[in-house]
Amino acid sequence: MKILQSNAGVLTNCEVLELLKSRGAGKDPTRVIAAVAPSEFKVYDYLEQTVASKQTIEIIHKFVEDCKKYDLANGEMLNVVNIRPSSAVEIDPIIQDCDSRMGDRIDEFLENVVQVLPPYPSQLESNEDTAEDKEETTDDQQMGVK
Amino acid sequence: MFVMSEIEHTLRLPPHLLNRPLNAAIKGELESLFLDKVIDKLGLCVSVYDILSIDGGFIFPGDGASTYTARFRLVMFRPYVGEVISARLKESTKDGLRLSLGFFDDIYVPVPLMPNPYHTEPDPEHKNGTRWVWEYMGENYPIDWADEIRFRVHTVNYPPLPVEQGKDSEQKDSEEKDSRQKDLKPFAPMVITGSLDADGLGPTAWWV
Repeated sequence: MKILQSNAGVLTNCEVLELLKSRGAGKDPTRVIAAVAPSEFKVYDYLEQTVASKQTIEIIHKFVEDCKKYDLANGEMLNVVNIRPSSAVEIDPIIQDCDSRMGDRIDEFLENVVQVLPPYPSQLESNEDTAEDKEETTDDQQMGVK
Repeated sequence: MFVMSEIEHTLRLPPHLLNRPLNAAIKGELESLFLDKVIDKLGLCVSVYDILSIDGGFIFPGDGASTYTARFRLVMFRPYVGEVISARLKESTKDGLRLSLGFFDDIYVPVPLMPNPYHTEPDPEHKNGTRWVWEYMGENYPIDWADEIRFRVHTVNYPPLPVEQGKDSEQKDSEEKDSRQKDLKPFAPMVITGSLDADGLGPTAWWV
């Protein structure tokens, strides 16, 4: 076995997930018929639980375009795409020397992240639950009136 | 987390696969050879990305199978030092934490890389386990089992394969070795050491 190129390209979690889905990982409930090995299914399960399950290649391209002005390293952009931090404290371990390099622009950058990259469903659900509670209470009031 | 590596490998295609289209047969062979295996310095092979070229097809004398030289790309799990990854807690002992990604379990957070200051208490749910609690500004933040834990990769090691004990090991050492071997965990070809000692790391419930 000869290693021709140990690094022929970095892949985001989203791209690996797309690769597994293109082989049929998502659609097969029995997990036997698809051309996907059990170890690959474990990777698929892990990635489905992350924000990568909500991203597409176009979203990532757009995000990379928008972030060119912040002068981030490739690894840092990759990490932000994979983790989708939504607050400054979450960004701190990802970007080295965050304060000195980003300073005030950190809020602008976070806005960018939160708008372009879709959130993971558990964050959405907590918002939906509060909305549903409000709807139920209004229904009860209407029934009381009738 | 994932990187593509380009590899060239000479493989023998067993004769019972001759009725299959060549690409599919070679891909199947490559998967059985590399999938879920650790390659030194490259990481854990997750998937075969694509096959770039297949050469050869020579049949060596005395062999019923043809031999091909294939160039292909593999998707490797190889986090870089400094990357922040989300994982689940697998074990919590007095030596630190062990985290798991589902497909990869050998992620250890040793005591020096735990968030400082901390204190430990015996875990009520698990025998011999330890519960780690971070103290910050007078508040206690425990590391619980349900949490998604973010850690930063500190080092990635590929320990060499263990050599079997020689027959001429000394008598007085043999007892020590026996007791050590009982405690030894199964050999891990790739070990990631993680750190929780920074803002934003540790269970996401602490920061969100």
